[in-house]
Amino acid sequence: MNTIQTVCPYCGCGCGLYLHVEAGRIEGTSPSKLHPVNGGSLCVKGWNAHEFVSHPDRLKFPMIREDGRLRRASWDEALDLVARKLSGIKTSYGPDSIGILSSAKCTNEENYLMMKFTRAVLGTNNIDHCARLCHSSTVGGLAAAFGSGAMTNSINEIPEAKVLFVIGSNTTEQHPMIGKHMLEAVDRGAVLIVADPRRTQIAEFAHIHIRHKCGTDVALLMGIMNVIVNEGLVDVDFVRRRTENFDAFEEILRRFPPDVVEGITGVKAHDVRRVARIYSMEKRSMLFYAMGITQHITGIDNVRACADLVMLTGHIGLPMSGLNPLRGQNNVQGACDMGALPNVFTGYQPVSDSKTRTKFERAWRRKLPGGPGLTVMEMTDSAYEGRLKGMYIMGENPLLSDPDLSHVREAMKRLEFLVVQDIFPTETAEYADVVLPASSFAEKDGTFTNTERRVQLLRKAIPPVYESRPDWEILGDLMTRMGYRMNYRGAYEIMEEIALLTPSYGGIHHHRLQEGFGLQWPCPDGNHPGTPYLHRRKFARGLGTFIPIDFVPPDEPPDREFPLLLTTGRISFHYHTGTMCRRTMVLDREEPECYLEMNPLDADRLGLKHRSMVKVTSRRGSIKVRLYVTPRIPEGSVFIPFHFKEAAANILTNPAVDPNAKIPEYKVCAVRVEPLHAPREVEKPPVVDLEDLRIT
Amino acid sequence: MKSEWVLSKDHLSYWLRQLRNERELIGPLRDGGKDILFRTVDMLHEIVLECPSSLPSPKGFLFPQYEAMFSCRGLSLSDGSDGKREISDLRDRTRRVIFGVRSCDVSAVRLLDAFCLGKLRDPYYEERRRNTFLISLVCNNPDPTCFCLGLGTGPYLEEGFDIQMTDLGDRYFVQAGSPEAVRTVRAMNFFFRKPRKVDYEDQYEVFLSSKARFRKRINLEGPRQAILSGKVGDDFWQEVTDRCFECGGCSYSCPVCTCFTVTDRINPEGIERARLWDSCMFKGFTRMAGGVLPNEKRVQRTKRWYYHKLVHYPRTTGKFGCVGCGRCAVACPGKIDMARTATKIKGLALKEEVE
Amino acid sequence: MRTASGKRTKAENIYLPVSGRIEEIRKKTEDVSLFRVSTASPLRYTPGQFFMVSVWGAGEVPISTASLCEDDLFVEFCVRKAGTVTGAIHSLQEGDRLWLRGPYGNGFAVGRRANGDVLLVAGGIGIAPLRPIIQMFAKDGSAGSVTLLYGSKGPQDVVFMDEVQVWRSGGIDVILTVDRANCDWRGSAGLVTDLWHRARVDFSRATAYICGPEIMIKSVMRDLSLFGMPDERIITTLEAHMKCGVGKCGHCYSGPKYICTDGPVFSYKEIKEYSLLG
Ligand SMILES: Cc1cc2nc3c(=O)[nH]c(=O)nc-3n(C[C@H](O)[C@H](O)[C@H](O)COP(=O)(O)OP(=O)(O)OC[C@H]3O[C@@H](n4cnc5c(N)ncnc54)[C@H](O)[C@@H]3O)c2cc1C
Ligand code: SF4
Ligand code: SF4
Ligand code: SF4
Ligand code: FES
Repeated sequence: MNTIQTVCPYCGCGCGLYLHVEAGRIEGTSPSKLHPVNGGSLCVKGWNAHEFVSHPDRLKFPMIREDGRLRRASWDEALDLVARKLSGIKTSYGPDSIGILSSAKCTNEENYLMMKFTRAVLGTNNIDHCARLCHSSTVGGLAAAFGSGAMTNSINEIPEAKVLFVIGSNTTEQHPMIGKHMLEAVDRGAVLIVADPRRTQIAEFAHIHIRHKCGTDVALLMGIMNVIVNEGLVDVDFVRRRTENFDAFEEILRRFPPDVVEGITGVKAHDVRRVARIYSMEKRSMLFYAMGITQHITGIDNVRACADLVMLTGHIGLPMSGLNPLRGQNNVQGACDMGALPNVFTGYQPVSDSKTRTKFERAWRRKLPGGPGLTVMEMTDSAYEGRLKGMYIMGENPLLSDPDLSHVREAMKRLEFLVVQDIFPTETAEYADVVLPASSFAEKDGTFTNTERRVQLLRKAIPPVYESRPDWEILGDLMTRMGYRMNYRGAYEIMEEIALLTPSYGGIHHHRLQEGFGLQWPCPDGNHPGTPYLHRRKFARGLGTFIPIDFVPPDEPPDREFPLLLTTGRISFHYHTGTMCRRTMVLDREEPECYLEMNPLDADRLGLKHRSMVKVTSRRGSIKVRLYVTPRIPEGSVFIPFHFKEAAANILTNPAVDPNAKIPEYKVCAVRVEPLHAPREVEKPPVVDLEDLRIT
Repeated sequence: MKSEWVLSKDHLSYWLRQLRNERELIGPLRDGGKDILFRTVDMLHEIVLECPSSLPSPKGFLFPQYEAMFSCRGLSLSDGSDGKREISDLRDRTRRVIFGVRSCDVSAVRLLDAFCLGKLRDPYYEERRRNTFLISLVCNNPDPTCFCLGLGTGPYLEEGFDIQMTDLGDRYFVQAGSPEAVRTVRAMNFFFRKPRKVDYEDQYEVFLSSKARFRKRINLEGPRQAILSGKVGDDFWQEVTDRCFECGGCSYSCPVCTCFTVTDRINPEGIERARLWDSCMFKGFTRMAGGVLPNEKRVQRTKRWYYHKLVHYPRTTGKFGCVGCGRCAVACPGKIDMARTATKIKGLALKEEVE
Repeated sequence: MRTASGKRTKAENIYLPVSGRIEEIRKKTEDVSLFRVSTASPLRYTPGQFFMVSVWGAGEVPISTASLCEDDLFVEFCVRKAGTVTGAIHSLQEGDRLWLRGPYGNGFAVGRRANGDVLLVAGGIGIAPLRPIIQMFAKDGSAGSVTLLYGSKGPQDVVFMDEVQVWRSGGIDVILTVDRANCDWRGSAGLVTDLWHRARVDFSRATAYICGPEIMIKSVMRDLSLFGMPDERIITTLEAHMKCGVGKCGHCYSGPKYICTDGPVFSYKEIKEYSLLG
């Protein structure tokens, strides 16, 4: 039996784990005891990370669509076809008629190569990935305020913190190992403040749980800052030396006294004051946020408000003191770092900057486009309108993850040529012209960057299953076929190239990652030990900028026709669109069907029974789910997890996007819930009370 | 028959090399980030003897997390033959020797033996167990989480081991506990010599000093009594449960837990029936047809876990279903674990008494 | 490192099923069918025992024996289509193979001539394990009176409607009830627990055998106990999630008992003592 040290393929915590390999087969998983993130624990997904690897549903060989059906093909045949078709589309319609979706599930090396392929070989900037759907507002919002968008602290600093302010994150379920550290901090006496409309597990531990109305985060945060300013809790020194534009900001802040905020958010003015005082008075205050902040049309504003709050109090640039966006996917941080975005190269170097472009042009020996490319949603729109002709989708499943699925489906149908490269057949692959089987995390080398910027080595435990190949190999092969010779001998050679072109990754090489648990960027040179917390003496952009923001209500508030507010999210037993975890026995058994959470008061009013089937309808479509009545969710709101293809929540969600980040508003839309069957007349009321039946 | 010998430290690797000729040698090795894991030993000098306890326990060598049970080829549903021919039993028959096992883990294997090799013998476990030979070391560096001392499952054992070795500085005191172990040592007796008085004295001293190193002294009998006398109410279990992440780590990491589930996979090569670790901490563990969940509330599951180990195990076997290895304390993200829970129960019971 | 995989060892494997042939399938209701299965080697089982029945590729599920073991050559299973595996079983046809291992469990300790009255209470598919007892009494008679109280969802859901006449002529008092009646229905409507007055049994001397959904079991047991039936003579069979049937997988573990090996048949006394039901 051999054990292979690697990284969990699920969430952004980036837990260290070992795969146990016996006779070429992965027999088990175990946590790394000394790992700074998970320290001996794993969540249920991690403990079962090995199971899907050898699942019989894995894509086994390349497939080509012929007469409407996919048939088995050889790698040569499939890749030649892709090369020919993409080159064809490029010559006849221009490079910008091709769109690329890269993947937060793939390694840094693969994302880099995909980015290189897009820009150098295809000659377009149309590359994006699912970070658009979860954290593009972070990247945009924090870049403007600080100059770089990532968690400023390290996960293992959390237990030492004194105040934890968690907003819009269901941490124990979605970032379990960060949740673990938070509980540890609470045990050690830290004050926990949770702002979340739902009563999540972490909220059970909160000293203060704020249940503001969905979509009113800006107002809440502005209210808190208003109190901080009025009560003289501002870190004046910090604001003066390290930030700019405070005056303009203060102007707007005046519009948000606590009682006004109470009207907008439903949070008692008293609580707003309490939070403001607790958060600002303790230096070791960490602010955390996740998708509850970012997935709104005001996503960027929400993020900016968080940034303003930490600057106002000077809670940044120190250990145990900072602003911490919790990134979802295991490598969403890395995919962004690698420039799988329409407007930047690696390390957020803008494509519009001619000096940067020249650097890349010289390294890659190709002329590069300077205008920004299309985002995920723009690609679908553009495909829908027939302007985008070809798409190459690596490890993503827009047909379950994007909002307004009916629209996406039509867009995919209209494409002239669609390539899907994945480990499992996905909904999107049903529309593909070519399907390429990729290797899973256990079958390849590479690096993942977790949410605290820790770049960690992924190690190959078993050879690729069936005929699958690692994504980087496939891309390299394809690029060669398209006339751009690529001959990396291993993922480590790609990493060397990344280090060469990316200042923040300058000292990150595979050989340095072999021992220990990775390096946290920025790591500019080969001797640099990595950076546990950011913005120490100065912000990445120099001075931090206060950005004045105003409260904008959600795009689609509930009304008479659609009286309930729907918010979507994940649950701990599943992950995103479920391609991996729903093929893991224990995980799928746990929550085999989609459900809708509703407050008992609403359920009573609508006459709906716990565990009955209901129909949920929004302006865009409707799905059938099982009703789960629970006080976890406040009155007037309902919650649906979005992992289930039989009842895809994103049929309902609103595609309205943040004007800048272009992130869709997953967290708020208006719906109506009806019973699926006419409520059954109970002929005879039950004779006995269930409680009486308990036999002891 | 006294099956006790002394082995000079210089001879250890020779001896292990001999053992390796016949068996796969498994030992505690450091992996990547300095974690200790049991795996196949390539270089004998890489074995770490002075190390914290491994995560996971060596349970996986006898009861792996994923184990193929049968493969079934070319089976047509309507074929009238008896069909046995197409089904092959995938029992693992690798002969293994696991070196450097801790006493608590040996005690756990004994509990597994009693459970799996009882009236109805689990063939997969049986085959692996028959082919596996455990060499345990008297523990001289318990982790802060260890509490085998109070349970009599460590740091050294009086009986129940295959081979137990005590580190006497320059040599090992070797005790063989099973006929097979005696045979193994005898077959290579040129490495070993008979113990002398001083060896016994030294061994006793090591026993004493290893006992002195424990930070935790936890007795599970008190908590058991408290539970039986009804002092531990549901509100206590609710409080414990509030911190549960439902990760299953407590069961996965526990060397005594044996629950599994079975799954059929239709591979291109044929159908495979496999079993995999499961945990009663999941609500789906008891899911019944039509989605009925008898243990839907988390608190019912936590309670079940502790009741099994603290109440039902002693009732049926006379022993606790815990050997004090402390792994649940490491694995649990919510910091719920046997030691902590037992301590809390004791506190609770004491409080009641005072009141 | 895996040696000689594929070869069968001599030591027997308690998880290895043997193949049976489906001789006959009789559709009983919309979602319940009766499967008659024969095996090459003789079968010995008693009422209340169960087999782990499997379809390769779909999985294994516990199914009670629904027939009286008379000539060793076959066993009948009455299966309700409830999910993956039971669905796969329903997709099989006569002549197909079904894989079995067992019988497992303790079964009902019911003598051919029970002294005193016998009360059988069934709900839905719960009639299946009771059918062999009914058949037995219908054939041989009993010392006292035998009453079957059988509740179903609706008139179409009465599983052994075609056998009721045979049972009645065998001297069994069959009382049928449905939750929702229609105009053709001539039996009663309501829960079985509403029909105690119809059962002509001396509760204090009778023995009861109960099988059905958990809620029903609980209320029936409680009522019978109140009527003065001794707890050890209120006998039921419990259902649990089962993966092995042989006391190893842990799924069916409840209180200190394994439903699969210590049960599935328990008396009310045991159920209370070990708190087997919630
Ligand atoms: C002792 C005993 C006797 C039974 N006798 C009969 C019978 O005679 N006729 C009949 O129709 N049904 C009987 N059942 C119920 C039957 O076993 C379930 O309906 C069946 O397991 C459902 O499996 P599925 O895969 O079709 O359902 P799914 O809902 O697809 O699967 C449910 C999951 O739970 C597992 N499971 C294990 N045990 C059970 C269980 N008891 N109930 C539900 N799921 C379970 C299944 O293996 C599967 O993994 C009996 C159950 C027990 C315990
Ligand atoms: S917390 Fe995240 S990274 Fe860690 S095991 Fe769970 S899914 Fe994997
Ligand atoms: S319950 Fe905890 S301490 Fe006891 S044996 Fe299991 S893992 Fe070890
Ligand atoms: S290890 Fe802890 S958190 Fe995980 S299931 Fe067990 S008790 Fe719950
Ligand atoms: S069914 Fe496996 S233990 Fe009872």
